[in-house]
Amino acid sequence: MELAEIFKQVNEIFKDIFEEDDIVIEAETSAKDIDGWDSLTHMQMITAVEKHFKIKFELNEILNFKNAGDMCRLIQTKLG
Amino acid sequence: MMLLEQIIKACESFSERNAFFTGEQYYTYREFAAAIAAVVEQVHERNSLIGLISEDDFATYASLFGILFSGNGFVPINPDSPPERNLQIIRQAGIRTILSSRPFKSQNELVEVGLRCVFTGNLPPAKTVPALPGVSEESTAYIIFTSGSTGIPKGVPITRKNISAFINAFFDYFGNIDERDSFLQMYDLTFDASVMHYLPALCRGACVYTVPRHEIKYLYAYKLLSEHPISFSLLMPSTLNYLRPYFKKIRLNDLRYSLFGGEAVFQQIIQEWSDCVPNARIFNAYGPTEASIFFMIYEWDPAKSGRKAFNGMVPIGKPMKDTVVALVDENLNPVTGKGATGELVMAGPQLTPGYLNQPGKNRETFFTMEYQGESGRFYRTGDLAFKDEEGDYMFCGRADNQVQIQGFRVELGEIEHHARKFTKIPNVAAVAFQNEVGSVQIHLFLESYSGKKKEVNEYLKAKLPSYMIPAGISSLEQLPVSSNGKIDRKALARLAENLH
Repeated sequence: MELAEIFKQVNEIFKDIFEEDDIVIEAETSAKDIDGWDSLTHMQMITAVEKHFKIKFELNEILNFKNAGDMCRLIQTKLG
Repeated sequence: MMLLEQIIKACESFSERNAFFTGEQYYTYREFAAAIAAVVEQVHERNSLIGLISEDDFATYASLFGILFSGNGFVPINPDSPPERNLQIIRQAGIRTILSSRPFKSQNELVEVGLRCVFTGNLPPAKTVPALPGVSEESTAYIIFTSGSTGIPKGVPITRKNISAFINAFFDYFGNIDERDSFLQMYDLTFDASVMHYLPALCRGACVYTVPRHEIKYLYAYKLLSEHPISFSLLMPSTLNYLRPYFKKIRLNDLRYSLFGGEAVFQQIIQEWSDCVPNARIFNAYGPTEASIFFMIYEWDPAKSGRKAFNGMVPIGKPMKDTVVALVDENLNPVTGKGATGELVMAGPQLTPGYLNQPGKNRETFFTMEYQGESGRFYRTGDLAFKDEEGDYMFCGRADNQVQIQGFRVELGEIEHHARKFTKIPNVAAVAFQNEVGSVQIHLFLESYSGKKKEVNEYLKAKLPSYMIPAGISSLEQLPVSSNGKIDRKALARLAENLH
């Protein structure tokens, strides 16, 4: 899948989790940029992404996400 | 030995050892002492209360001790809380000076009302070392504000004597802690579990690892635990819930003391966690802010503790050194029957002198009782408990409408108070429910509300700290009532669970 398409789909998941229709995620977007991005919403977001793309993240993969871009690139790798 | 004497001694004895690891950088006890002394030079008050913006950096910890060493008490203030709530706290505590390591969000609002803001982030280290302030041990060390059902936060003052009593009880139990230990400090300074993670560590020359405020806490905490030799940590059960899917891959060999607290602790998850921490002893620590951090403890033994759970919950154990506990009925008479349930009350040197400026609340909460031949001043925890044959206490529910969210105490009445004020609807109910990972969240129900729910949410966000904001808001034609005519909160909690 194209990275841009992954961003688009992940963006929809973000809108749903953070209940905010105006959210636009970029490669550099991280927890401090989004109101309400805390432990709980992070966990919900990871679970939603795993379910949507039918993939599983390892704990050390999640630890190394610095921003939304890192996550989208890893999704792309996992989708093969 | 009093608290600050122990800190001075640690700074002398362990000057080249690390006191902190914060922001990916180590700071030694020598640097810590010099930074404290630099802050003391900036504080021109004595026997006052000083606001402390609860950042997570080295300068903030130096400021906290600078306040204590200058003979004052600190009041932690979360810069992300609504300015209006922070102003309420500042007015109640009579704060004139605020220390912050860096500029913060609601700074302008606070300066406008005439507060002096001192920035401590770039102070040059002092040439001197901190000296004992010579103030009374009865003076306030800190005030932590907790949720109040009337809509106004309640200030809980903790004296220097209270803290010294906690430290004595702590080391009476955990006597082996020394300079080779490392503590994980993942809590905001407005939550008193934070105190347990820096004070005992700094008394013994150990190192404190802090979790930055804007990181995803459970992940950063795990990262620190896995990459550094951290030996002591109190985690909240909700943190474990987040890590649970990965338990099979987690092995933390350095952890020697794995404590839980802040919420009810379920034995199922502790059992699973015990495989992740093969060298750790596991404990459940219990105590409200009023009794200085915690005063009861239970060591969980994988071989036999399974039989001891009540409704799946791990016991809260026995009182620690110098604390007395009892169970009482509604009329505050001791409950004596074997295994009988009563409200847990405690007395001892860790107990706060009473809420700040709330005489009514103090009369309700503190009382004098003759117990085991001695008269003592007791505190009503509001928690229901019973005692088993071995003398271990079991928590079995609340006597009121208070819940624990992420370790913070929340009066559901406080949320309802603000919801009523905004919606003008008399029938509202905030209820706690368990979400899909077993953490507690709040849902707000309004009776026949036709306005926009988003506006209610925005209003609450302007009034309350983030942990008190409902995860969802619903309007029902009528709120369900139980047979005695009261709002049926249990039915609403089940409904909330289904809605999420």
